[in-house]
Amino acid sequence: MNKELEHSFVTHLEQNQNIVHKVCRIYTSDPDSHNDLFQEITIQLWKAYPKFRGEAKFSTWMYRVALNTAITLYRKSKRSISTTDLDTMNFKIKAEEYDDEVEQQLKLMYAAVKQLNDIEKALVFLYLEDKSYREIADTMGISEVNARVKMNRVKTKLKKILNP
Amino acid sequence: MDELELLKKEWKKQEGELPKLSYDQIYRMILKKSSSMVKWLFIICVLEFILWMSIDVIVRFTGDFNEFEEYNLKGFMFVSTIFSYGILLYFILRFYRNYKRIQTTDSAKVLMQNILKTRKTVKYYVWINLSFLTLTALAVVGYLATFTDAYVVEADQEKVPIFIIIISAIIVLSIFVGLVALFYRVIYGILTRRLKRNYEELKKLEL
Repeated sequence: MNKELEHSFVTHLEQNQNIVHKVCRIYTSDPDSHNDLFQEITIQLWKAYPKFRGEAKFSTWMYRVALNTAITLYRKSKRSISTTDLDTMNFKIKAEEYDDEVEQQLKLMYAAVKQLNDIEKALVFLYLEDKSYREIADTMGISEVNARVKMNRVKTKLKKILNP
Repeated sequence: MDELELLKKEWKKQEGELPKLSYDQIYRMILKKSSSMVKWLFIICVLEFILWMSIDVIVRFTGDFNEFEEYNLKGFMFVSTIFSYGILLYFILRFYRNYKRIQTTDSAKVLMQNILKTRKTVKYYVWINLSFLTLTALAVVGYLATFTDAYVVEADQEKVPIFIIIISAIIVLSIFVGLVALFYRVIYGILTRRLKRNYEELKKLEL
């Protein structure tokens, strides 16, 4: 029984691991912390898995556990983050695919997102993942109106960071 | 907002660049132990219960306790023992219930609330225990100073003034309580700083 559960969990997660990697990218700035957080999220998902009844989609359920782990449960390791780490990890954008201006804009945008606080990052992440305000509100435990208001504030904040 | 929309468009394209872990790599991960703050909170809370319980047991089973019997305090000690174990049992049960309620599948806000509630249970236990200890100690010292000759200095058979005894007892107790409070701030401060900050941030949204 346990083996079966393990197998179905690992298969599920292997197929949906992108979600976890993306959460790690938003919340960490170097490969070691990325792996650390990925590991912790995997453990938390596994611990919660027996209660996953399949009423929700596996991926929907994953967003909650992954974000909760990143925001609340994960204890950052003491590694210092140098600015060069930040640069290299800021989502490498392949130069050949974009013109210089777009590339530059995106780089600045990622750097701006990194400056947001944990809650704001979660909102931006869910927004980028194309989640509805209803879903964002449910995941965070706030009302839909507040999610909308906060999202607008985050957008303004990002604008300010980008155009000081 | 144009920039965020641009980022959203590109967001999907990055999938190809994300790391890819194999089935085996993920499987190995689920065998490892968690190092989450909830786990540390649990360990620290259990250690606290054990610490306070052992202090109690040590005091009761070392010679010190027998001295009270000489001064007719046996009944008082019996009642206080029952009382303190009752408190302990009540808090262990509450702690267990709150701990079980911590679910990563809840919304971020509910999860944070439940963690803070669990931590508060133990905090209340320690403060109730400390006040209980302080009151008991003061009552015993007061009783011994007023109604017995426990504080008579043997050499000159003179009684030490009651107010000196009470004041020194208060000073010693406040230093003790102060140290425990400091210890608390440090341990829980480190553990829950981030959680509290994020919880405050979420609560601000509701205003």
